[in-house]
Amino acid sequence: MIKKILFSYQNKTQLIIAMIGSFLGFTFLVTSIHYLIRVNEFGEGEEILGNNTMIIQKKVSNFNSLKLAKTDFSEREIESIRKESFTETLEPILSNSFGVSLQTDSELVPYFRSDVFVQSIDNSFTRIDSDQWKWSPGDDFVPIVLPRDFLVMLNTFASAKGIPQVSDDLAKTIGFKFTLYNDEKKEWEKVKIVGFTNEVSAILVPSSFMEYGNKNFPTSVPAKTTQLMLTVKEGQFGEFENYLQKRSLESKENSMIVGKLKSVAGTLFSILIGISIITVFLAGLVLVQYAQLLISRNEYEIRTLLRQGYSPTKITKTILLYFLKVFAVISAASIIAFSLAKLYIDSLLIKGGIQVESGYTLLSILAVILAFGIYTIVNYFNAKRGVLKTQ
Amino acid sequence: MDIHFNKVIPIPLAGIQHSDKSIWGNSFSLKKGEKVMLNASSGKGKTTFTHTLAGIRKDFNGSIRFDQVEINSIPPEDWAIIRRLQMSFVFQDLQLFPQLTVEENLQLKNQLTDTFTSSELFQMLEALEIEDKWDVPCGILSMGQQQRVAIVRALSQPFDWLLMDEPFSHLDEANTQRSLALINRRANQINAGFILTTLGENHSFDFDRELNL
Repeated sequence: MIKKILFSYQNKTQLIIAMIGSFLGFTFLVTSIHYLIRVNEFGEGEEILGNNTMIIQKKVSNFNSLKLAKTDFSEREIESIRKESFTETLEPILSNSFGVSLQTDSELVPYFRSDVFVQSIDNSFTRIDSDQWKWSPGDDFVPIVLPRDFLVMLNTFASAKGIPQVSDDLAKTIGFKFTLYNDEKKEWEKVKIVGFTNEVSAILVPSSFMEYGNKNFPTSVPAKTTQLMLTVKEGQFGEFENYLQKRSLESKENSMIVGKLKSVAGTLFSILIGISIITVFLAGLVLVQYAQLLISRNEYEIRTLLRQGYSPTKITKTILLYFLKVFAVISAASIIAFSLAKLYIDSLLIKGGIQVESGYTLLSILAVILAFGIYTIVNYFNAKRGVLKTQ
Repeated sequence: MDIHFNKVIPIPLAGIQHSDKSIWGNSFSLKKGEKVMLNASSGKGKTTFTHTLAGIRKDFNGSIRFDQVEINSIPPEDWAIIRRLQMSFVFQDLQLFPQLTVEENLQLKNQLTDTFTSSELFQMLEALEIEDKWDVPCGILSMGQQQRVAIVRALSQPFDWLLMDEPFSHLDEANTQRSLALINRRANQINAGFILTTLGENHSFDFDRELNL
């Protein structure tokens, strides 16, 4: 009966306008947060390197070829890059100064041998399981990460020999071995492929193996730092790219493109989140104003109910419950609209060859629940104050 | 519940000289079960008196206590309990909900305490000869009919005191007598008292006490 008295005879135009505003705000908010998360997740797990992590090196020019310019990084240069605002973490990549070759060690595949170049990077930059990524002298095998191009080359060789090509999984079961050597001695170590990479051109080995090789098979050529592993801070790819151009440095283009796209898309979605928050805030203000108007229009009814013995708490709860239903309708409608938009956007992304996770992101749903909660709390205090004022 | 007045003067009436017989500025108590007539001409503060006792107005000097409790210290939630269980009102402006039917207006009050069944409410309307208005919105009733609905509504709860501010102002003598009889019957039933403000007419009722302003 109280509901009938308070709400049945009200003009609902303002309420409907505020509901539409809130619905749009909620929908934009949940959509933009969801896709901001998905954009940041894009590419994760496919590569061994962490997010925004890339290898940089000096551009090779004719001057380098003529030995008029250096391609290695000095300690001072490394420290200078480390201090740049875009740098989150930076570590030099260790390269081998010992002789090493890789050869097949299985009857399943034909004999193949090649001198190779191995590198070791700090494990904090990679997603390789640290239990798998360790080696000490006497171990059964050395775990390695193979450049995918190397496997392609191996398959081309297999094809030319008329033998079946090997998949990623099969390659992990084939036996390989390293030959470590210098002018004086040789040693063989069994090798096991634990992963593949598109990002690094050299075979990656654990740093303990690199230290072992450099220490036990020293050559006259000293180890130089020609590449650096760098993690760029989120959204600072523009600055990073300018720096690379200015200092004649280069990075693998595809990593850069993905990083830049993520940076741009992330910025756009962040702007959209900002606009959505403003929309939710403004629509919330209109809803609060509507609630105040409702209380003020119902001043006679509320006052009479109080004088008849209805408690202020009961009247406040009735008003709150009414708006809870309004907020629930807004939240549910925005989640439904988001689901439909998501179906459409995801299908567009798939058509464009971009695979994103199809599930809902918890944070985007939590954002709607948070907005719902804030609306409810503000409305509760607003209603309570309005009712107590009407004595 | 007894009501105690201790030199109460509403602030708007503070500048006016009140007689020795006036309740304003004097101390007295009203005992539960008393039937009291408050007699005064227009503008002397009858509605101020009712509203002050109802906790609507707090602008007075002196003190009013319900038993031992100072009424200006009663919080809003406790006022709701008092208005539901101990004190009922017929306001001068009636304060009905014009868009609701007679039944809905009565049930709105009655459902707070489940005092009467629907048929008992209907019988009270019958006693006041407005049972045919059961389904009619209050907004289209005459003032006399609305006054009778407000009286039945005020009776639809337990109370120690029933405060009525000129409740028969739009009723003829026959309807006044019927209404007063119903009120008296209900008050006796629950051992309650009432305070009736009038413009001097005692409606041939034998009041326990008469107050003046």
